[in-house]
Amino acid sequence: MPKQDTPQQVLAGLTSKNQFTKTGTTICGVICKNGVVLGADTRSTAGDIVMDKNCEKIHYIAPNIYCCGAGTAADTEYTTELISSQCKLHRYRTDRDTRVATAKTMLTRHLFQYQGHVSAALVLGGVDVLGPHLHTIYPHGSTDTLPFVAMGSGSLAAISMLEQGDADHQGWRPNMEVEEAVDLVKRAIHAGIFNDMGSGSNVDICVITKDEAGKVAADYRRNTDIANPRKYRRDVPYKLPSTRLVEVNGDMDM
Amino acid sequence: MSGFDSDRYSFSLTTFSPSGKLGQIDHALAAVNNGSTSIGIKSHDGIVLVTERKLKSALIDKDSIKKVQILADNVGCVYSGIGADSAVLVRSGRKNGEVYRRQFGENPGVDTVAKDLTAKMQSYTQSGGVRPFGCSLLVGGVDPAGPSLWQVDPSGSSIRWKATAIGKNSRTCKTFLEKRVTPDLSLDDAVKIALLSLKEVFDGLLKAEHCEVGIISTEDGLFRKMTDAEVTEQLDGLE
Repeated sequence: MPKQDTPQQVLAGLTSKNQFTKTGTTICGVICKNGVVLGADTRSTAGDIVMDKNCEKIHYIAPNIYCCGAGTAADTEYTTELISSQCKLHRYRTDRDTRVATAKTMLTRHLFQYQGHVSAALVLGGVDVLGPHLHTIYPHGSTDTLPFVAMGSGSLAAISMLEQGDADHQGWRPNMEVEEAVDLVKRAIHAGIFNDMGSGSNVDICVITKDEAGKVAADYRRNTDIANPRKYRRDVPYKLPSTRLVEVNGDMDM
Repeated sequence: MSGFDSDRYSFSLTTFSPSGKLGQIDHALAAVNNGSTSIGIKSHDGIVLVTERKLKSALIDKDSIKKVQILADNVGCVYSGIGADSAVLVRSGRKNGEVYRRQFGENPGVDTVAKDLTAKMQSYTQSGGVRPFGCSLLVGGVDPAGPSLWQVDPSGSSIRWKATAIGKNSRTCKTFLEKRVTPDLSLDDAVKIALLSLKEVFDGLLKAEHCEVGIISTEDGLFRKMTDAEVTEQLDGLE
């Protein structure tokens, strides 16, 4: 039998090595015709342990702007929430929809101020009056503006799918239809889920598009692909003799 | 307030008279009564806020004037009195709403939004070198406790109303409202009564360009302003 740590030892190891919850992660985004598609896996880890099998890595910034986050889970969550709140006040003040450049600037200023100590690597995407936009933002505050991007530990696997594709599928090309782009993003995230230990479980997608009338709509498709369902499962929950069953948690599939 | 020269601005400009009155606050209320009429009505399923938007000149770009303002997803307000002062309060109300939401993870109740405003307004009656705000706000919104309508005054007091009017002609409006407002009003009825009430005291023929209407319904809990087309439709449907 290989030597295994007791639960107490694991916890002690976690706190002593300061292994706070990181998102491991594969996140990516692509520009398509009339919009952007963002994708993310749903595994969050603390060292070698999976902390959340179905966490949400695509964060709301504005009705027309969403942001995927890799790095320290708390940092990505709080940073995006802060900037989302600031964008809302900005909307009230200016009486206009938020622009992606505004959110990008607020995020980079914040991250640069903390000199990289806020460990948030973001993929920011949205559609505004000036069209669709896609950026990566690094923890130190630098940015890239590209037609397709990937971040996180699974980014190498994802970017190869976006850049090159595989035997049966093409990589990114300009002016893709929305559903083609969704398919491409799903394959990129899959590559990360199955080839990177820091990423796993399911695929979340967010599609942000502008129609002919100029109206922007965001379609947040949570768990669009349950790539790793639980294989074996009891049909009926275990019946404890004197405990009343109130509700069955549907997430038992994860 | 810190940073001021200790001699020149350390004392409050709002001081008691021997009879126990705070003159500056009374004068502020006079400024409110000089302002254009604003009306608010609470129905069982929502709130309506209406104000008169009379432009001093036909050359003014009407769409730039915004008197009915959103404070939070579920709260809006309208003012009577000095517009510039109300802008400061609106900005503060919006920020406090977001601060509350970030701190507690849920939208503030309408009463909390109103009380935060009154706290600010009161502090300007008891601080060095500042004057009270020259406007009253009608704050209306929907929260888990239902719809509520609050009036906040330059003194810093807040009153919850079933229906009320502020600004000039408020007395006439309130008499009109007392007769027409009932507990079982629907939001649609409330909009009509508010516009009728404004029509009563409006100098001339009331059209959509002369008023602003904000509504919030318990159905979606989102405050929004009615478009000119919607207001015209409502006015056409009156009487």
